[in-house]
Amino acid sequence: MTRITRRRIVQGLGAAATLGPFAIGSSQGQTQKGDIVIGAAQPITGVFSFAGIAMNNGIADYCAWRNAKGGVMGRKLKYVAEDSGFKLDQSVAIFKKIMAAEKPTFFYGESTQWVKAITADAVAAGHVMTSSTSLATVVADPANVPQHFVPGPTYPRLHEILMEYIAKTYSTGAKPRIAYVYADTEFGRDGIPGGKARAQKLGLPIVEEIVTKQAGIDVAPEVAKLRRARPDIVIFQGYILAPMPEFVRQMAEAGLNPKIMGTAWGLDKPAYDALAKLGVNLTGASMYRYGHETDSAMINNMREHLAKNRPEVKFISPFYVSSWLSGMVFAEIAERCIKANKPFTLANMKAALEGMKDWDSGGIFGQLVDLSSHQIPVGRIYAYDPGKQAMEPASGWIKV
Amino acid sequence: MRTGVFHESFRAEERLWDSSTQRRWMLAFLLALFTMPLWGSDYLLAMACIVGIHVIATLGLNLTTGNAGLISLAHGAFVGVGCYTVAWLGKHGVPFWLALPAAGLLSAALGLVVGLPSLRVKGIYLAVATLAAHFVLTFVFREWEPVTGGVPGTSIPRANLFGFEFHGDRRNFYLIFTVAFVAALAARNLGRSRFGRAFVAVRERDFSAEILGVHLLSTKLLAFAIGAFYAGVAGGLLGYFYGAITPEYFALTLSVFYLAAVIVGGLGTVLGSILGALFMTFVPEALRLAAHLSSQWFPGVAALLLPMGQVVFGALIIGFLVFEPHGLAAIWGRIRRTFHLWPFKT
Repeated sequence: MTRITRRRIVQGLGAAATLGPFAIGSSQGQTQKGDIVIGAAQPITGVFSFAGIAMNNGIADYCAWRNAKGGVMGRKLKYVAEDSGFKLDQSVAIFKKIMAAEKPTFFYGESTQWVKAITADAVAAGHVMTSSTSLATVVADPANVPQHFVPGPTYPRLHEILMEYIAKTYSTGAKPRIAYVYADTEFGRDGIPGGKARAQKLGLPIVEEIVTKQAGIDVAPEVAKLRRARPDIVIFQGYILAPMPEFVRQMAEAGLNPKIMGTAWGLDKPAYDALAKLGVNLTGASMYRYGHETDSAMINNMREHLAKNRPEVKFISPFYVSSWLSGMVFAEIAERCIKANKPFTLANMKAALEGMKDWDSGGIFGQLVDLSSHQIPVGRIYAYDPGKQAMEPASGWIKV
Repeated sequence: MRTGVFHESFRAEERLWDSSTQRRWMLAFLLALFTMPLWGSDYLLAMACIVGIHVIATLGLNLTTGNAGLISLAHGAFVGVGCYTVAWLGKHGVPFWLALPAAGLLSAALGLVVGLPSLRVKGIYLAVATLAAHFVLTFVFREWEPVTGGVPGTSIPRANLFGFEFHGDRRNFYLIFTVAFVAALAARNLGRSRFGRAFVAVRERDFSAEILGVHLLSTKLLAFAIGAFYAGVAGGLLGYFYGAITPEYFALTLSVFYLAAVIVGGLGTVLGSILGALFMTFVPEALRLAAHLSSQWFPGVAALLLPMGQVVFGALIIGFLVFEPHGLAAIWGRIRRTFHLWPFKT
């Protein structure tokens, strides 16, 4: 009995193993009719939910807003999102699920590692373009990650913008002494080499470099290092809020009063509000206009849409702007393909993306932008205005 | 009605599947499993591949912790070692059929080193010692850029067996589940061997085991090495499955995930490892899907239910610990007995 069973097992497994690998379902992109599907794996729960909810709302609201305006050449945008919990396993499974069920033309993901994990499948599928909240250098790579674009400048570009601003602001007199404090994460580390290289080129001295954990940091010994280095500027990178306030408080107690700077997500409301309470005006390189600004048509659209549909939202976070912008780029790619009467293949969509060299973002960026490098290397310096209790422009738009 | 299983010899009792009914069910299960790529959706296959990888890693931890009683919080890091090993070897042209065992062996070698403190400390102290190993290894993943790619991570060439490339989930499914099947069979056989019995003896009372002739040094180190070997192989498969990996994946939560899978599934059993990995992977997914589906009839409910999913998941784990400390494997055993004895006793 045992032998017969074993044989059966082997036969069954052999048959399945022979047939199975070749039973690869055909994957086809969307045709030129019907809704244009945007899939998404959003971290609505989990450690990144503070951003994930805004990211989900941003792209969902853009689709709703655009559909209310008639869609893309008469075709509606259909947004299909699921909660990834900021877990790679889950977000990859969601990608595969939505790819199979909805055949999306575009997909929005949650992180750098998500982009890396789905790239092979996305390229093999040949009918999907992706974007995500990640500003990491490795995903702005037209050769190796051809289906993806970064909705803004990468972290190194932001630091280069910041260094350019510092060099111009301190063009007379002694060069300011700069200290870097960054988290030992991709968000913290990715931009630092680019910033340091630009600082060296501009003759700006980096006098201290402190790497910390993301959370649970003993700030005191790090502040002691800063006390010895006596920087004029401390640039934080990789933190949304903590430990910046504690650093600032202890630096003040140690008699240090440097200018506090940051970039990207570190310039969000929680950070500048917390530092303002300590009497510090945060300054930094932002990739987008802030949600309270009135000189951008698209930001005004966001505000109006939110007021009508999500009245409980009182502040437009950069995560919301970022995913709304990704939705805009998706729609623009689709529109260009439809106008050229080309199907939504990866090659056509990539060509459409790379053809966006003078693209009008509706004022999210203060100038026409170039997406040919799969990122938007433009930014602007903002500084906290205690009178307005908001971040206000401190420079023009800087392209690097 | 089956009234019981009667064994007429010790050899019969030691069989992997002790009755013809069990063998038939196992056959049906394996056929259903290995034909899944023919009928399963892409999503189901992706989830199955992830579960298969977690099953292999959980089997390893169950040997170390469940069978030998040695708590390890470095298991997630061993998975990482396996993953980076296949990545590095793959980039240097080493074929996958050599790289995958090498990933297991390198993890096993590190497991030996990490297991050394188990000779002097146990319980919570051993957990802390392995925790230190976890931090050391994850530091290496982040910092040893030429090999691991540093914080941005690294890509892994697809597994290729004599020209047959394992790209796509359907092909990876066979690779993963063939390895998982062999790994489960090996773990089950190990439990029936001299070494497996030595593991249990060490777990129950190590100094008594030593009096009985069990060599503590080799037994404990072997338990760590075999557990880490499984983790390394799982890590290698994880790399082939995703094609790219960053150090973020191998956070402490991954080790906790495997430890929870072992406890929820059932300590010291192969079935427990499988059910535990299934539970830990699918229950959050099922809760998420339930929230998603409910939002179709009750708009806005998803926003409330989605965060609650994690609370429910946590509550389920606590519930298992309180009401069934022997895990899902014990529940499964009771269900089987109920069917065996139905309708006379339930």
